[in-house]
Amino acid sequence: MDTPIISLRGIGRTYDMGTVAVEALRSVDLDVAPGEFVAIIGPSGSGKSTLMHIIGCLDRPTAGTYRLAGAPVEDLDDDGLARVRSRTIGFVFQSYNLLPRTSALDNVVAPLLYQGVKRSDRVRRARAALERLGLADRMGHEPSELSGGQQQRVAVARALVSDPALILADEPTGNLDQASGHDVLEVFRELNRSGRTIVLITHDQEVAEAATRQVHIRDGRLVA
Amino acid sequence: MSLVDLVRLAFSRLRTGRLRAALTMLGVIIGVASVVALVGVGQGTTSNITERLSSLGTNLLTISAAGAAGGAESTLTLGDAEALAGLDGIAGVAPESQAQAVVAADGETTTTSIIGTTEDYAAVRAFDVWQGTFLTDVAVERNLRVAVLGATTADDLGLDESSLGTEITIGGLPFKLIGILQPKGGATFADPDDQVMVPIGVVHKYLTGGDGVRTIGVSVAEQDQMTAVQSGITTLLRARHDLAAADDDDFSIFDQAQLLETASSISGTLTLLLGGIASISLVVGGIGIMNIMLVSVRERTREIGIRKAVGARGRDILLQFLIEALTLSGLGGILGVAVGLGVSALIARIGGISFAFSPTTLAVALLFSLAVGIVFGVWPARQAARLDPITALRYE
Repeated sequence: MDTPIISLRGIGRTYDMGTVAVEALRSVDLDVAPGEFVAIIGPSGSGKSTLMHIIGCLDRPTAGTYRLAGAPVEDLDDDGLARVRSRTIGFVFQSYNLLPRTSALDNVVAPLLYQGVKRSDRVRRARAALERLGLADRMGHEPSELSGGQQQRVAVARALVSDPALILADEPTGNLDQASGHDVLEVFRELNRSGRTIVLITHDQEVAEAATRQVHIRDGRLVA
Repeated sequence: MSLVDLVRLAFSRLRTGRLRAALTMLGVIIGVASVVALVGVGQGTTSNITERLSSLGTNLLTISAAGAAGGAESTLTLGDAEALAGLDGIAGVAPESQAQAVVAADGETTTTSIIGTTEDYAAVRAFDVWQGTFLTDVAVERNLRVAVLGATTADDLGLDESSLGTEITIGGLPFKLIGILQPKGGATFADPDDQVMVPIGVVHKYLTGGDGVRTIGVSVAEQDQMTAVQSGITTLLRARHDLAAADDDDFSIFDQAQLLETASSISGTLTLLLGGIASISLVVGGIGIMNIMLVSVRERTREIGIRKAVGARGRDILLQFLIEALTLSGLGGILGVAVGLGVSALIARIGGISFAFSPTTLAVALLFSLAVGIVFGVWPARQAARLDPITALRYE
């Protein structure tokens, strides 16, 4: 087997709430190989958001080791984590999180801005990503002028544009009607078929069916 | 992220909130405009005063009677003037008595200063004759009713070279016009071209009713004798006025050069003061920028979270907000300079005050506005840069 994209060993995350310490994650071990489409399923409060934040390098574990694409990341400083997010991870959020009053094209360009990509290349790559998601005729539209499904596809284009090793999707269908949700999941499946590694976090068993492997989380622990 | 990208981002942001950007910039615009306008007018006045005073005559000492404004009760007399003429190092002496009177010629009238003086006046006060002659020693000695007009007065009365020898009236009395002077220019205060010169005895007899002399103009032959001549004059006048050693002088002597120095230093200080007051409004403008940027950071918390999630480092966010503040203040500075120049031009036109266009002032005002942007932009930008991405993303 290739070097795993994600390798979590004994990951714990404790929140210090003054007098009590809340253990959101307890010794989580998880490997995700390149090309996998993994769904992490758990009810609210199960720690799946915390896990998503750690996998996404938005947060650091308080215990254990995390190697992302072979490199340890648990001790990186804020700038180091930002660099990893910029190069290695593409996010898709439940609430799309597009930049308001900014065209679809400029939204997709944003990650490249922070990688220092040349302007002409940025625009070319952003166009290509939007075209790939069938949004060629929506590039100049602002998020408020797009439907939920379209907004989420812009978000997927943004996640793809920097060609990251990992796409991390947090309840990507949560705000969508069934048809749009289905479309978005279809996009993920297709991306996965073309070799993308995808980690999908959801509470919905039906959504999780789209993935090739399912991992359940309960009370901060992975269960079989 | 390159600087170009940051500036482009800042401008696109300002475009989406034009009204807010305009109102925020207004503070800086007003600040910079008032600095430019006030300092410009101040410097203009300074150079105007300097120019005006130097046109009044070089190596000129002006002796004024202490206390009294002139006329009968003046402590200076024609005898003093004659005695002064005998001192060493003096090129010319011109006693002056002054009155206001209505001057009329051919139906036109104007009210102006009537200077009663002697033939030396033109040389002492650095006037050149344009047409005709100046007062002659004969005219002064015999108190002839002849008059020489300043350029402005002649213009007001519609008189030119063809009018020489004709009759004009001063305070109702007929005078013969014998000359018109070259204009000196400079019009900040008391236009030197708006006056009528007549023999001093005539003024005493018909206009002031007394033989007091208001001032005595003395031109000194050599620049380096100014101080020596000044003390010579003091000694002579004290002796003539029978002043005891303990008495104060009953006259004062103005050195033109000294006056020049004093005047330009006063107006320089005034300029600095005006500039200082104006800069306060610039600082207030800066606080306005800080206020808006803090609000902006709060409102755009989610945007900051998104940008961090897609790879922005703290520094990228810091620069984004700092450049935005700088763009506001810099743009405000440029507009402020434009408005300031416009206002100065308007003041100059309406108030008859000249203003100096100084590139240094403009550069300083612009740099100052940029500095305001940095100083008041840094704190909000740091707030933005320090936001935790997870918290920021959850912010509603």
